[in-house]
Amino acid sequence: MGTTAAAGTEGRGEAVGEEDGAILQLLDSLDGYISLMGSLSSSLRQGWLELSSARHSMGNSRISSVLFDMKPHSSATTVDLTVSTASDADQATQPHFSLLKWGSRGDEKSPSVEVDGKTPSQASSSTIYPAVAADNQVRKKRSKALSMFGALVPPKLRVAQGSFETSLEAIIEIANTRSTILSALGRLQTVDLRS
Amino acid sequence: MANRVQIPTNNSALIAMIADEDTVTGFLLAGVGNVDLRRNTNYLIVDSKTTVKAIEDAFKEFTTREDIAIVLISQYVANMIRFLVDSYNKAVPAILEIPSKDHPYDPAHDSVLSRVRYLFSSESVSSGRR
Repeated sequence: MGTTAAAGTEGRGEAVGEEDGAILQLLDSLDGYISLMGSLSSSLRQGWLELSSARHSMGNSRISSVLFDMKPHSSATTVDLTVSTASDADQATQPHFSLLKWGSRGDEKSPSVEVDGKTPSQASSSTIYPAVAADNQVRKKRSKALSMFGALVPPKLRVAQGSFETSLEAIIEIANTRSTILSALGRLQTVDLRS
Repeated sequence: MANRVQIPTNNSALIAMIADEDTVTGFLLAGVGNVDLRRNTNYLIVDSKTTVKAIEDAFKEFTTREDIAIVLISQYVANMIRFLVDSYNKAVPAILEIPSKDHPYDPAHDSVLSRVRYLFSSESVSSGRR
């Protein structure tokens, strides 16, 4: 009887520990979520202001939804989604989002490539190296996005584009934090059911 | 933390938007816009003429499409279809309520935070009963 009571106490202790862990994770994530929302609000406000400024200089009709490109085209900025599956069946899958801005991850380091057996410093200047080629691609995609409002756009519109790109980065972090919150909520509910 | 098996289901997915014109314009400038061969877009511009039914239909469409990972919805638009947004409980696509120019973000209405509040209020009720 003493052994059974000890085992029961140990089990309850584990459940309390698990619950505490989930609560701590939840509270941390909530704090992060609200803080990120503040950053997002700030970058969006900046973007709207710059967009209004650009509209003021170009004219209302020059920056309008009527000019949106309705020809079939793929999104240049996408999201890379990976899903981690826990070996423990009680834990839910947790998706992880990464931003592929203009088709590149941005934090990837371009590998140094030998061209025709020569190192980049030895090769001819006319050879385009992967890093430079990638930058050119990104620049082209950025220009293409701006070009729906005309060939010549004011600097404010380019700056607005940058602000909304920053907002996208915050959005990805918010999405990941949301995943963590939902995962912690799921764990809490599971621990609650067990106890 | 328990051992997690990482299954790299690498999928390049879209960001959908249900928001006002300026917000959609801004994100299109950031390269998020997608138009398929049937001229279906990954965004809905909400203005004074947009009906609640159109917003509901767009929400249902974006949350069931497999190529969409995140749905951005202006919080004031989410408030128009609050029941639908709050009853959505999938992990993907992630529904994120964002502020708009005329309606700042209000944590009290956010569906994720509401879920946390509900959990803690039900926990405090059940612990009171014990």
